Amino acid sequence: MTTDHPTAANHKKRANAIDVEHLTVSYHARAALLDVSVSIEPDQLVGVIGPNGAGKSTFIKAILGFVKPDIGSVLINGRNVQRVKGQVAYVPQRGSVDWDFPITVQEVALMGRYQKIPWYTSPRKRDRQAAVEALEMVRMADFADRQIGELSGGQQQRVFLARALAQGSEILLLDEPFAGVDAATERAILDVLGRAKEVGKTLVVVHHDLATAGEYFDKLLLIKQRLYAYGPPEAVLEEELLSKVYEGRLRIFSDLTKRGEG
Amino acid sequence: MLDAILAPLTETYFQKALIGGSIVAVVAGVVGCLVVLRRMAFLGDALSHAMIAGVAGGYLVMKMLFGYEAHAPGMLLGSLIAAIATVALISFVSRVSRIKEDTTIGIMYTGIFALGVVAVSIFRHYIHIDLMHFIMGDILGVADTDLWVSAFTAVVVLSIIILFFRHFQLATFDPVMAASIGLPVLFLDYVLTTCVSLVVVSAVSMVGVILVVGLLITPAATAYLLSDRLDRMMILSGIFGVTSVVGGLFLCVWLDSAGGGAIMLFCTLQFLVVLALAPKYGLLARWLRLKRMVPQQVVEDVLTTILRNEGVTPLETIRTYVQEPAKSLNKALQRMVQDGLLAASEEGYALTADGQVEADKVLRAHRLWESYLAQIGTPKDQLHSTAHHLEHIREGETIEYLDEKLGHPRRDPHGRLIP
Repeated sequence: MTTDHPTAANHKKRANAIDVEHLTVSYHARAALLDVSVSIEPDQLVGVIGPNGAGKSTFIKAILGFVKPDIGSVLINGRNVQRVKGQVAYVPQRGSVDWDFPITVQEVALMGRYQKIPWYTSPRKRDRQAAVEALEMVRMADFADRQIGELSGGQQQRVFLARALAQGSEILLLDEPFAGVDAATERAILDVLGRAKEVGKTLVVVHHDLATAGEYFDKLLLIKQRLYAYGPPEAVLEEELLSKVYEGRLRIFSDLTKRGEG
Repeated sequence: MLDAILAPLTETYFQKALIGGSIVAVVAGVVGCLVVLRRMAFLGDALSHAMIAGVAGGYLVMKMLFGYEAHAPGMLLGSLIAAIATVALISFVSRVSRIKEDTTIGIMYTGIFALGVVAVSIFRHYIHIDLMHFIMGDILGVADTDLWVSAFTAVVVLSIIILFFRHFQLATFDPVMAASIGLPVLFLDYVLTTCVSLVVVSAVSMVGVILVVGLLITPAATAYLLSDRLDRMMILSGIFGVTSVVGGLFLCVWLDSAGGGAIMLFCTLQFLVVLALAPKYGLLARWLRLKRMVPQQVVEDVLTTILRNEGVTPLETIRTYVQEPAKSLNKALQRMVQDGLLAASEEGYALTADGQVEADKVLRAHRLWESYLAQIGTPKDQLHSTAHHLEHIREGETIEYLDEKLGHPRRDPHGRLIP
């Protein structure tokens, strides 16, 4: 390391997408995250798993730069998250969206460009173009003028994905995209995630269902206050590890770990 | 008739009421859209009630310190301070105590309103505020200063909303994303609350404390029923605000009633009409949609009737087996022809290829349910009627489960083939 030219690291083609270093975040006396260190490489589909109240949402907030760490730091593309805004595109949980809001599919996608539009002008031609392209990528261009509440669950998820793509960020953060959708929709969403990965996005997905985690993601990140494991599914979905983290709240470990291996 | 419309227009008081009311209504309508979408309606009510303490305070301070009588800017500033203090108190109490926000709003605004009422009556020798005017408004007695104040407010507030439209839109729709791209979400909240306070303050002198919240949210809610885009909703809402004022003022002159009341009555009637007739979100449209829907049960009954009958089935036969009023049965048949399940001819109805597939599915479900019922010991004479209800339950893996559990039977209890 010491022999490396100091700027060599900066000239590397791509640094890690996300570097979390010794991150501790607390609410009063309770540490929601304790000494979490993890480096997420680019072009990955990463699933974040862990039991309820394990600090998954604090982890999301930390990556979006919403929490002030007690110690440690979060680097996005090598730069401190507090100093860069909008580098991580956020796809909200379905339940937190007001689906009756007077807004069309096209307008939601256009929101991805809001950061780049100066406050004194209206959206320019290239902004609208980018929104349309993003919608085409998730195959929602035909629905551009629909109000978002008129879509099916999977279509709604794809629209928000288009918004994230239009934002142009390298990193996408999705909060439980598979919650409350049927199996066919789950497939459709997974397909779009795969396409986003193909164009070089890093996707961090909070996921609840251990049964599908092994199948869907390149890497899994298991947290419960601390980071228990980060790596390929077969290494993370390991019986001993899961029983430690979930404390007997799951009884089908053997089933899961088998799937992880196979 | 024409005279009834033209005569009031020549009166100065009416012209002023029309102009002043319209200015206030436009800006209240536009801001009201954000109030409605953020579910802040109660806040508008709270602000207007809190105002009276501010007006009394402003009056008193300006008179005691500077000797001004009923100094309008002083009272305006007082109202704003009272409004902002109310909001601050509400958020403080609901944050530090276990009392929820709706209750806190109720406590704070009635408390501050009471403070204002008491102050006005204690200092009645120093300050001359007509409580009745304050509570009911006096749009027909709009003074020139009121006009200027509301025009100024309107320009300021509309400029802010138009310039930062995208910011407000995003912060309202998805505050998390707004914060993640660096929008000052909390600051935008404060700006909006201040805008609402300004609008409320300028509207109180016209429609009164009690009706202000209506002017803020009713036109917005009316527009909400008609639009799928925020910008259009705001424009429509502004228009509905103006029509309420215009319609209400004529109503007031013709009926010789209170101005504020007439305006809000007109505004509410307007809302009810739109609620009934809105093309997409109206009650009539909803009712028509429900009416047009054909129950799945009827569709399935028709399918199996034709399947059992084998070939072209006359309407009479279908009518005997499917117990459904003639009108809705005809509608179901029409819809099924449209959907490509049936082919209609002179002699009756036949299944299309798609219809055959669907019918087989229902029949398979029916016969498997019958087999299952027989297995769990249902009396033979009840098999058919019970299975007839159960055959509609076949979502997901239900039928495959039955099939597996029964050991893939080939024939049902009556000895008929299971498709």
